[in-house]
Amino acid sequence: MRRCLSLLVCLVAVGVIAENNPPGLAIPATTSAINSSTPLSQRVVAYNMDAKYDAKAHSLDATETLTYHNLTGQALDTFPFHLYLNAFQPTSTWMREGKREGTRGQDFEKWDKKSYGAEEIKSFEVVGQGDFTSQLQYIHPDDDNKDDRTVMQVHLLKPVPPDGYVEFKIKFHDQFPETLERTGWNRDFVLGGQWFPKVGVWWHGAWNCHQFHAYTEFFADFGVYDVKLTVPQFEVVGASGIEVSNVNNPDGTKTVAYHGDDIHDFAWTASPHYRIYDDTFQGSMGPVKLRIMLQPAHWSQAERQARITKQTMERFDKWYGPYPYKTLTVVDPDPGSQAFGMEYPTFITGGTTWWEPEGMHAGSQETIEHEFGHQYWYGMVATNEFEDAWMDEGINEYTQVKVMDSIFGPSASTLNLWGISAGEREETRLFYMGVADVDPMAKNGWQYADSNSYGGITYGKTAVVLLTLESVIGEDTMRRAMHTYFLRYRFSHPTKEDFLKTIEEVSGKDLRWYFNQAVYGSQVLDYEVMKLSSVPVDWYKEDLKEKKGETEYVDNVWIHRKGDFVMPIEVEIKFDNGDKVREQWDGQDRWVRYTYQKKAKIESIEVDPDHKINFDRNDFNNSQTAEAHGAPARKLANYWTCISQFCAQLLAWWLV
Amino acid sequence: MSEKTNLISAGSAIASRNKRYVIWFYILNLVFAHFGAAAFSDQAHGILDHSLYADKLLHGFDLGVLVELLARPEFGALPAASHPAMMFAVLFFLASLIFMPGVLLGYASDHRIPREEFFRACGRNVWRFVRVFLFFTIVAGIIGGILFGAFNALATAADKTSHERLPFFTQLAGGLIMFLVLTVIRIWFDLAQTDVVLRDQTAVRKSIAAGFRETRRNLGRLLVSYVAIALVALAILVVGILLWHAIVPPSSVLGAFIVGEATLLLLLGTRFWQRATAVAFYVKGTNELIDEVQPIPAFVAP
Repeated sequence: MRRCLSLLVCLVAVGVIAENNPPGLAIPATTSAINSSTPLSQRVVAYNMDAKYDAKAHSLDATETLTYHNLTGQALDTFPFHLYLNAFQPTSTWMREGKREGTRGQDFEKWDKKSYGAEEIKSFEVVGQGDFTSQLQYIHPDDDNKDDRTVMQVHLLKPVPPDGYVEFKIKFHDQFPETLERTGWNRDFVLGGQWFPKVGVWWHGAWNCHQFHAYTEFFADFGVYDVKLTVPQFEVVGASGIEVSNVNNPDGTKTVAYHGDDIHDFAWTASPHYRIYDDTFQGSMGPVKLRIMLQPAHWSQAERQARITKQTMERFDKWYGPYPYKTLTVVDPDPGSQAFGMEYPTFITGGTTWWEPEGMHAGSQETIEHEFGHQYWYGMVATNEFEDAWMDEGINEYTQVKVMDSIFGPSASTLNLWGISAGEREETRLFYMGVADVDPMAKNGWQYADSNSYGGITYGKTAVVLLTLESVIGEDTMRRAMHTYFLRYRFSHPTKEDFLKTIEEVSGKDLRWYFNQAVYGSQVLDYEVMKLSSVPVDWYKEDLKEKKGETEYVDNVWIHRKGDFVMPIEVEIKFDNGDKVREQWDGQDRWVRYTYQKKAKIESIEVDPDHKINFDRNDFNNSQTAEAHGAPARKLANYWTCISQFCAQLLAWWLV
Repeated sequence: MSEKTNLISAGSAIASRNKRYVIWFYILNLVFAHFGAAAFSDQAHGILDHSLYADKLLHGFDLGVLVELLARPEFGALPAASHPAMMFAVLFFLASLIFMPGVLLGYASDHRIPREEFFRACGRNVWRFVRVFLFFTIVAGIIGGILFGAFNALATAADKTSHERLPFFTQLAGGLIMFLVLTVIRIWFDLAQTDVVLRDQTAVRKSIAAGFRETRRNLGRLLVSYVAIALVALAILVVGILLWHAIVPPSSVLGAFIVGEATLLLLLGTRFWQRATAVAFYVKGTNELIDEVQPIPAFVAP
């Protein structure tokens, strides 16, 4: 009897589930936006959106039809959605964090109405289950901020079975802020990012749908996007994916339709001022149409922007793997907007100035390189940016150093102007230096001490840690590991261990000692040459006359591990007769002393003579010379003196 | 046109005849700056002298290494290095204020004035120059402030348009207009200072009024002369920087010192040229009143 009852319950449940799976639903297997005849990702979502933008009110009204394919292996009756434009409200978590720690240069001293943004759900229907508009709940999984409305949740009446589909029909109204967090309007420009209700990701047995935080932005499933944007006819529009139609409407508007395959987000921009520079990159999977949308005043930079884009794409294609999409849109946002330097699938924003000198690589070129890199590290290898920000920004920062160094040379990849140079490697290291011991890399993005720590660790530390890893496993092995990681995890959501284990697997080395300190720990690496001495063996003889090459010395060198980070190092000792000795030290003790008896005095000592370690906190104490060399300090002092003199003259010129 | 050329060349002749003033002021400028840089120099020597990493600053100029140096805790806070430099810049300004009366007297004289006379002029006029300076700061502050505010408002308005170059050109035009207006004010007070010294004028307001009248009557002539000399100064600065960049090897501290100091010496010379031009104008304009510069009587105790 009991068994019969259970069977009956199961049958009823299956019946309910079967009834809940609307017929004919599927995620399209389209490939028109990629250079592949088959889909590249396991497509979970299909977004079909029709949006009308009101350029005067900076608002948008849209309908969204979302088809969700339940590939979680279990029935789902709850669905969370991002509503990230609600972050731009005075009591949101994003704003609280921004107010507390500053975010991307803004500290919100005073609330400005122009900063207001909203994403209002007008209606929410689950096809086959009815209208749920009144049952939507705002949730706040990361904090107890009840005023945060950046994540909403819906409980379905009937669960979606494993491998089943559900369709949501949502009507929503967006109010864009004056550009914040790289979305919104500035004058007559608009960048539509984080603009539509986006479903969370079922990841490791639970929904992963974080609130919008000051430093974290994305995590979403792959799928297909079909988006129609209706804007005034004078607007020049760009968006993720490929443009499939552009039709003028009788009311003075036009509707531009886009299609995207195997992407997990969709962004768009419109401005009446854009000038378009078209180019093509021939990638290993096929041609990629480059569409560079420039401000008119920046037209002189068009060729330069196309060049750096193609140089970057070429290196990524060769080193890590192919770029499979048919398009890449590079946007030069409105000057003065907060929309520069952002990544969305097949759509990035750079930003430049009309006067940017050729030798200043840190401006638009670095930005374009960086944002394109995100097509790989976030776009295709879609890590959880909320929980593993270093795998998104940091791995990208590492490849940025590699690419920029390759294009412009290691010592001038950031700046090469008027005899002044700077390299990406050094810039990245400096980024990390100020916050070296504050946070580990492996930490939720919104839980860093502050914005400096978030930036310095996720971007800076990750890059220098991976650059240093090259010295442990070899540059070629590291490149192979990155290549393997990309090919293995593209179009999926890898974890930090997926990445670390791939490196261990490809290198064939146990690197836990390194990862435990560098990734999971906040130990700081600082080796120093503590002291040196060269004492004549016959020091006690009263008639001792030291003679180069003849007098015998006892030479001592002390190396000190000042930091907590333990890493094997090399030490090079140079003697004044030209001899060189290299020592290997495992760094386990706090210090080590090397003693030599030679007919030569020590000339210099250098820790890490090949400069393989990129995160030593103080590079100045990594070497010591027996004799003082005052020229570098004199050079700086001379510059300082000249500048002081000039300032004094200017003061006297105008005041006396 | 020839009249304008004459004023510039007359100033040039006076300044060349009295090169020693420029030299002395330059030495003062250099010595003060040297003292001002001592803290910076000591801090830099302490970190760089025994480090091989410092070579990146010597053979080239790696900005990253410089930033790292400045960020080192043992380098100390940057204000500890920049404040002495600022203090010595202020000292140079004060020295200029004190010794300029002697220079003006020397410029107006057709013979080399004795040292005692030079310092006597400095002593007699120091308080007068302080008062002229105060008037100058009030006038320049008010006019400059109004102009700065106006141009800033214009630039802000221009910034709200979609024409990216408009704010830049607005600021550039504003900067040029401010430069011209402040130059006019400088001419006015240069003439006032000259009047104070050469007339031995105790009531500086009369000299300021006289300076204003002369400036207004001869604005074009004086302004062209001053601007022309300022353009020469700009050319010297540009050529100096280009030479520094083109011919001085990155590791040549001596080469950089020579080119840098030669540029600064010539720059200082152009300001003295302007002062000499003002004196030439003043003497020429008032020669019916002042036939020759009268030696300033020594102070006699009652």
